[in-house]
Amino acid sequence: MSFLPIDQTDLHHSMELCFAGAACDLQTNSSELAGALEGLSISTGDAVSSGFSMRIFVDESSDEAAGEPHFRGLHHVVTASFGKSNVFVFDILRRTLIASVSAAVAQDDGFWNEKVIPITLGVLGSAMGLVPVHCACLELEGDGLLIAGVSGAGKSTLSVSLSKVGFNYVSDDWTYISRLGDGIVAHGTSAPAKLLPDAVEHFRSLQRHCLRRSMNGELAYEVDVAEAFGVRVERTCKPRWLIFLERTQGAGAAFTPMLPAEARSYVNSSVERLPPQLYEAGAMRERTIERVALLPSWRFRYGGTPQFAAKELLEFVVHRRQEIYV
Amino acid sequence: MTDELWWHPDLLRRFVPTPYVFSEFDGSNRFMVKSNDLEIALGVRHSDIIHRENNRAGGLVCKFIRDMTGPMDDSEMTIVSNGVLRVLSMGRGTILIYDSERSELLGFVARKVPVHELLSSLIPALLEG
Repeated sequence: MSFLPIDQTDLHHSMELCFAGAACDLQTNSSELAGALEGLSISTGDAVSSGFSMRIFVDESSDEAAGEPHFRGLHHVVTASFGKSNVFVFDILRRTLIASVSAAVAQDDGFWNEKVIPITLGVLGSAMGLVPVHCACLELEGDGLLIAGVSGAGKSTLSVSLSKVGFNYVSDDWTYISRLGDGIVAHGTSAPAKLLPDAVEHFRSLQRHCLRRSMNGELAYEVDVAEAFGVRVERTCKPRWLIFLERTQGAGAAFTPMLPAEARSYVNSSVERLPPQLYEAGAMRERTIERVALLPSWRFRYGGTPQFAAKELLEFVVHRRQEIYV
Repeated sequence: MTDELWWHPDLLRRFVPTPYVFSEFDGSNRFMVKSNDLEIALGVRHSDIIHRENNRAGGLVCKFIRDMTGPMDDSEMTIVSNGVLRVLSMGRGTILIYDSERSELLGFVARKVPVHELLSSLIPALLEG
């Protein structure tokens, strides 16, 4: 039996980090891991009111790589194991992650960037009013555009195409939204964009990259959009519009206004159902969702290439901006 | 919002029904065990170590899920603790959690783990290890 006390006196490396606008108090016994997480931290200045803690013990005697994930949850606790040496325990009420990981996992920067940070924000976010929404986010001259849609609707390819016509890229799949004053703020993370294999038909430069199996089992190109496409990246913005993406067989594009109830329903479908022990967290999350649902929303049906859709959306956003500012 | 719109797959198995419930009061101490497995519920109800912890902690709420769908990949036991939470994992299929501040003992028990092992080995290791 292994006993791994996550005792603060053993976790000598301590630093303040920020992920998706949430302040993170990190303590670990590994200077390498502390350095890697510092590299993923994004300070935005718009931190949500409450942060979270990470207490990570690195077992230098273990070199087990991350295995298949296994998640379970009861009451206020969620556990995630990636093999027997890599155990993560999320205490939602106390907004704390305690974990014991192997030396191999501690050195795997991609694992922390693509899995641990997004999972932590998704699980602990409810206790911080930070809502993970299944949508892409782009920014144009200070105004944010959220693009929602089911998996396969084309959010990622459209995000790249919009970035190529002047938008700044924030995220392509999951966006973390928190309240700030009377409004909301959208945050991206350092996680790579995930483009499905057919995206190579629209972006030939993807041929330089390899397909990888992502956490949900899909084969995808996982790329840093700034490196792969030379586009500008922003980590935060204030959303003004919400677009629901639907692909159609025929060519053309059409925008139809949507009701707040439809937007609310979609955002609710992105978040985990919470147990009664997390009632207050659920209520806080609901207040954020309500603000998202009040954004002006449209259904955007289009057929054709992502470049065509990006051109249509750019025109649409330019018109909406003119309405607001003129 | 309708139930249909709120529907989500219970990927974490947080909402597995626990129809076997025993609840007792001893003065101000409340002891409760909930499970989806009658043998586990009965075993925990009569367990000495559980009752000792109940008396020490001033009450105890236990919830155990017999996890028929989890992996059965290993038998090595690991305990991770930060003082308030103690988490015992045996392989990936069995996970026990003790929250000393909230006096809650929670867990998923893999299909292959017999009740006597849970009571004589795993729970003592978690509570007393």
